[in-house]
Amino acid sequence: MAQQEKVVLSVQGATEAAAGESAALPARTGRGRVSEALRDIGLRVGSIVTLVFLWWLVSLFFPPTLIPKPWDTFAEVATIISTGNFFVEMGNTLRRVLVGFGIAMVVSVPLGILMGTLRNLESFFEPPVILGLTMPGLIWAVLMIMFFGLTETSAYAAVAVTIFPMLTISIWQGTKAIDKDLIDMSEVFHASPWSKIVDVILPQLVSHILAAIRYGLGLAWKVVVVVEMFGFSNGVGYQVVRGFNIFSMKTVLAWAITFLVVMIVIEFGIIGWLERSVTRWRPRVEAWRR
Amino acid sequence: MAYVQVEQAVKSFLREDGTTMLVLDGVSFDTKEHGITCLLGPSGCGKSTLLNVIAKLERLDRGRVEVVSNHGELGEKPPRLGYVFQDPRLLPWKRVEDNLTFALKGMKVPQIEWRERIHKYLGFVGLHEFRKQYPLYLSGGMRQRVGLARALVIEPEVLLMDEPYSKLDQLTARKLREDSLAICARLKQTALLVTHDVEEAAYMGDRIVIFSARPAHIVEVLDNPFPPLERDFDDVRFIQLKKRLLQTVLNLIKEKEEV
Repeated sequence: MAQQEKVVLSVQGATEAAAGESAALPARTGRGRVSEALRDIGLRVGSIVTLVFLWWLVSLFFPPTLIPKPWDTFAEVATIISTGNFFVEMGNTLRRVLVGFGIAMVVSVPLGILMGTLRNLESFFEPPVILGLTMPGLIWAVLMIMFFGLTETSAYAAVAVTIFPMLTISIWQGTKAIDKDLIDMSEVFHASPWSKIVDVILPQLVSHILAAIRYGLGLAWKVVVVVEMFGFSNGVGYQVVRGFNIFSMKTVLAWAITFLVVMIVIEFGIIGWLERSVTRWRPRVEAWRR
Repeated sequence: MAYVQVEQAVKSFLREDGTTMLVLDGVSFDTKEHGITCLLGPSGCGKSTLLNVIAKLERLDRGRVEVVSNHGELGEKPPRLGYVFQDPRLLPWKRVEDNLTFALKGMKVPQIEWRERIHKYLGFVGLHEFRKQYPLYLSGGMRQRVGLARALVIEPEVLLMDEPYSKLDQLTARKLREDSLAICARLKQTALLVTHDVEEAAYMGDRIVIFSARPAHIVEVLDNPFPPLERDFDDVRFIQLKKRLLQTVLNLIKEKEEV
């Protein structure tokens, strides 16, 4: 705080000194940041190691057909990956998730924005959206397979329909929270409709859209695996069913683990990166956290 | 340049409970050309509403508000108006210079002029070094300066300011007032400043228009005898001017309470 006030004063007085001080304002010192990041990573690794240790403890009390040893399972993971099997199956599952997700996004973003802006549309679309939210993904999966048969279309449709209400609600609520003062400001400066959407409205929705992507992907994974279990001949869901049919706990767990790893990479890697790069304008406020 | 003509402006709002609230009750005045006109009056009297009418954010029920330009070249084109808000209303996801670009783009200023204009007006408010910074990394006073630069960069016929200093601490506000006054004098800018602060009106206003409490009518219009850069807080005559304004406004508030 003291530092900030110093910057203010220096600006009011003489501006030439200000550039250097402003650089010091947002960032912490380099070394403190690195050690903090290392501690953070250490804690995360520690948490995973603890989980594996607990797994091993429990496995001592059960036969390997019920709870296999962690390293046997990891060896199975290695086999899945080294035979190339993994990439084909995961690719199929990922494609189904992403296509379904894309379809849902294309519909929900405009619909959510319209519902947040126009009261009539809000009243009209609110009941189906809320109803859709309560419908279990499993039922959508069954309905879509009955309607489209065992085709890729049924997988895409099941994913899209399941996550669509959640995405729409998130963007609808985000639109309602938009700052009217900024809209007035853009009107005063004669901003074009396009500029209003791109420069004023969408940036305010970004954090809502990112949260929606997070929840949406989580839901999408669950549905797509169910659809694949119903009788697809490829995809992670199919492989899990295959493991179940030969009663190999090891196979089921190995596929579950690889699946988790991919999800974590997407969640922390891709979405995390996206979030950091679109919210660079916002100072990190962590003073109240310990 | 230009000035603003307000004639018999009447405006009422619909309350939540269905009754109407009269805000402006036949307000008429002309602003100064090449100078700052202060709209002074008690809080909630409708000064800001009038500013919003001029900026076309609100519409009058009756009466007329016109930006008159001597050039005549305006023709059918709407006048360029710069607006400085109470909260600066910057786009926090845009860097300082891009906030200015947003206004330039909206007002359809040719792109080749952007760089030079941004340089010039950020320089005026003393923030050229901060052009690449995001607003949330700046102090409140600096953000308000960006808001001023954004309003000036479109080279408006009329600059509208809605209590731009009221949320700043005393020292920052004082410095910013001084700078704004100097900038407006240098640009010969026609400006309207809404305020409820008597001292601010006496210091900033070349013309001071005193509004009554709601529903607002004009109580008095007086021209500041001191030129912009010769207003000295310790000068006896300046103190007298301030006293007179204060007395008028205090009487208005008292009348209102007696009713």
